[in-house]
Amino acid sequence: MHRLEETWLTVSAGILIIFMFIVGYQTFAMGMGPPSNKETIDPQKVEETAPFDHPGVFKVGENKYEVVMTMEAFSFNPDDITVPKGAEVEFVLTTKDVVHGFQVAGTNINAMVTPGHIQRISQTFDEPGEYLILCNEYCGVAHQLMSTTITVN
Amino acid sequence: MAEKHLSHHSQSPEKNNNEDVNSMKGTMVSVGFVAAVIVVMWVAVFWLYMARV
Repeated sequence: MHRLEETWLTVSAGILIIFMFIVGYQTFAMGMGPPSNKETIDPQKVEETAPFDHPGVFKVGENKYEVVMTMEAFSFNPDDITVPKGAEVEFVLTTKDVVHGFQVAGTNINAMVTPGHIQRISQTFDEPGEYLILCNEYCGVAHQLMSTTITVN
Repeated sequence: MAEKHLSHHSQSPEKNNNEDVNSMKGTMVSVGFVAAVIVVMWVAVFWLYMARV
């Protein structure tokens, strides 16, 4: 094998190993893996099943909030969310009909919400402002209108 | 003498051609360029993710 071939093969393998190590460390040591909650729910009984029988924003600790949210074409419930600056917010999500996306612009929140499954994802909002929440999985003819906001003050 | 002269002329370009074919400097530069693009893109996405945590 040519010396230069050995060089770039070694460098390529090294880069791959470094990338995989960083991503693995983030996921397993720092808990920064993608949302992968495994709770299930009967999608036909969402409104009768706790906690989704009372969607809303709940204070669960010192500057910790839980947002219990149901999604359906083409709305989020609750659609008016306000939390204080620096709050750690856990979103608990499910959908009543089809697959929806849950993305909060300007943050790393980006989850697929599937019928029959409960999705959980957390974020600390350090910057005050109004964050756009949008569905990023095509869910029907008015998909582009499915959005709301979360206010941090 | 003439034969030797001829063989000298016929071997030299062949040797040069082989050197050109066996040289992988251009390939190394191309591979390095692709590697640099991949690394820069990876670092940019990583930085964007960490900035939003």
